[in-house]
Amino acid sequence: MKQKKPYTHLNKTEPYLWILPSIILMAIFIIVPIGFVFRMAFSQVTKAGLIKGFCGFNNFAKVLSGAKFGMVLKNTIVWTILVVGLSTVLGFILALILNNEFKGRKIARAIVVFPWATTLVIQASVWKFIINTDYGALNTLLKTLGIIQQNVNWTPTPEAFFAWEIACGIFVTIPFVCFTALSGLQSIDASYYEAATVDGANYWNKLFKITLPLVKPSLTVATVLNIIYVFNSFPIVWTITKGDPASRTDTLVTYLYKLAFYNGKQGEAAAVSVIGFLILLVCASVYMVSTLKKGDE
Amino acid sequence: MKKILALLLALTMVFALCACGSSSAPAAEAPAAEAPAAEAPAGEKVTVTMIAAQYGPKTGDWWVDFEKKFEAANDGIDLVVDCVSWNDIYTVVNTRIANGQAPDLLNIDVFADYQADGLLLPAEDWCSPETYAKFYPAFLDQSVVDGVCWAVPDLASARAIYYNKDILEQAGVSVPTTLDELVTVCQAIKEKCPDIYPWGIDMTTDEGQAAFAYYTWSYGGGFVDADDNWALNSAENVEAIKFAIGLVNDKLTNSDPANNTRYDLQDLFCAGKLAMMIAPNALSQQAGDAGINYGFAPIPTVAGGSVSAGVMDRIMCFDNGQSAEQMAAITAVVDAFYDDEPYSEWVLMEGFLPATSAGGEACAAADPAMATWIDIVGSAKFYPTAKAEWADVKQGVIDVEQQALLGGDVQELLDALQAEIAG
Repeated sequence: MKQKKPYTHLNKTEPYLWILPSIILMAIFIIVPIGFVFRMAFSQVTKAGLIKGFCGFNNFAKVLSGAKFGMVLKNTIVWTILVVGLSTVLGFILALILNNEFKGRKIARAIVVFPWATTLVIQASVWKFIINTDYGALNTLLKTLGIIQQNVNWTPTPEAFFAWEIACGIFVTIPFVCFTALSGLQSIDASYYEAATVDGANYWNKLFKITLPLVKPSLTVATVLNIIYVFNSFPIVWTITKGDPASRTDTLVTYLYKLAFYNGKQGEAAAVSVIGFLILLVCASVYMVSTLKKGDE
Repeated sequence: MKKILALLLALTMVFALCACGSSSAPAAEAPAAEAPAAEAPAGEKVTVTMIAAQYGPKTGDWWVDFEKKFEAANDGIDLVVDCVSWNDIYTVVNTRIANGQAPDLLNIDVFADYQADGLLLPAEDWCSPETYAKFYPAFLDQSVVDGVCWAVPDLASARAIYYNKDILEQAGVSVPTTLDELVTVCQAIKEKCPDIYPWGIDMTTDEGQAAFAYYTWSYGGGFVDADDNWALNSAENVEAIKFAIGLVNDKLTNSDPANNTRYDLQDLFCAGKLAMMIAPNALSQQAGDAGINYGFAPIPTVAGGSVSAGVMDRIMCFDNGQSAEQMAAITAVVDAFYDDEPYSEWVLMEGFLPATSAGGEACAAADPAMATWIDIVGSAKFYPTAKAEWADVKQGVIDVEQQALLGGDVQELLDALQAEIAG
């Protein structure tokens, strides 16, 4: 039998030593820059980026009283809910399909990775090219097939543009959900399904009583991570519309980018950043508290 | 305890993921001007640092070559040029300023923000009288604040109407010289060539302020009045923007002016799908390569005559507490850059227009097509970039145009913008 190590001071501190490099890296590359953002949010910042002193909640007041902030926040919420919600549903369905035994399954799984493996800017540029009215691939395809005679304007309104951006967002998010769900599906013991079959359960019974409850932890992690990623996503909206026209397709991230680098209002941009951070913090806290509670149970 | 742990974990997760998706430029209170001057000991080289905007694929190589030649001719000076793309240059410059590492020389478009923060040196401190005398006076005027010139122009571009000769001939019309004629010509093109967009308009975040300038200047309005005060909601401006929006609503333009950038329009023009657009001289090369039978003409106005819109970039010098020796080195760099031969070679390579009269003559001699453009740019009107509110005005007029495209009332929108800018 292995002898238990005597309790020493070193033993107590050892775990902390192991995680020290990570903590130092996080402090330098994550916490310090975010500290700067908080500092800027409460400071008067010139257009050349110089901090001219503490200004309290002035930047927040300016942002919140701005005519566009409400619309941009609404866009961000719609964008996040639709992209995360639909990509979770579609990703899970795709995972169910890919979890079945069929010929070419490995190739199918590899193909699903492609949208995830490609840079978002490239993805968004391709989508922009596809829906372009004048030389887009979609119009060319439909004309070649004889379905349309004249080019169709697929983006006649800001809402239409935003819908395409959401579609692009869903397309690039599905692989992550799919593979997270797939890992959950593969960890389910086949004996559960065998027992259910013996008991006379049909496909839907098995899906809702066995599969979903057992995949739920994986899907929850994917959803929370996706909320944060999608909420902060910049390349898709920026590449396709830059938030135009008149901020109708802006999300908080593209809005703050314009404030910082087009209007030179870095203090206000930092304030928007802090507001976004707080919203995400609430979402992540709800998740963490509920996860740890379940751990207790 | 569990809840505190949960919150800490949540904070860590959000911190980490926020950091994945964003970049932040650290800021510091100490302005660059407070950085102590480094006196070069005898025998050591004096270093001059510069950030140059990357205009094209050859810009970086040109500056490397310039550095080598300059250092060979000036033994005691070490010239360090960082060539930075337009996408990054504002972030790079602001970060360096905030960290007290402002370059000695900066080549960029705007200067008013740096001047307002007291970061710049007057041009007469670092630009020799010989070089200063070379610039077109109208160009230098664009960098004057409170009677002092803070930057010198490095190059310019002017805008004119580019038109597809074949399409106009097919429609049986000639180049418009007034805005009424423009409408008539567009209608004729729309009737005879239904697959062609008659007129290109860019009202995007990229360059929507240019459209505002073209139409308001054409109507006799503009960004400022005769006393250089903001006059964004003048009657002329309201009429001008209504006219431009009217062209869009009458389907005489490209389909989506709020999202079609000038580069998109140039592509359409070079594909033979757009009959006319306002563009800089750089389009000549692209259209020629695409085999388009093109011509260019001055931008028409409401009452006839023409207006020319110019865009200009600058070189400025930061106040880093330089010694007399360092200032002499900076002057030497500026003098060498504006020396007629390398300067005209650089301007021709970049495909822009020169800011010096000698450079203009050299470019006109090298390329006869440039002569017309040099005449145009000599009398061009420029954006009021010397005014501190310019960044807000620029984004504001773009927003007005885009809201007007969505059906907003031009008068109300411009009134609101004027109130926001001029108080």
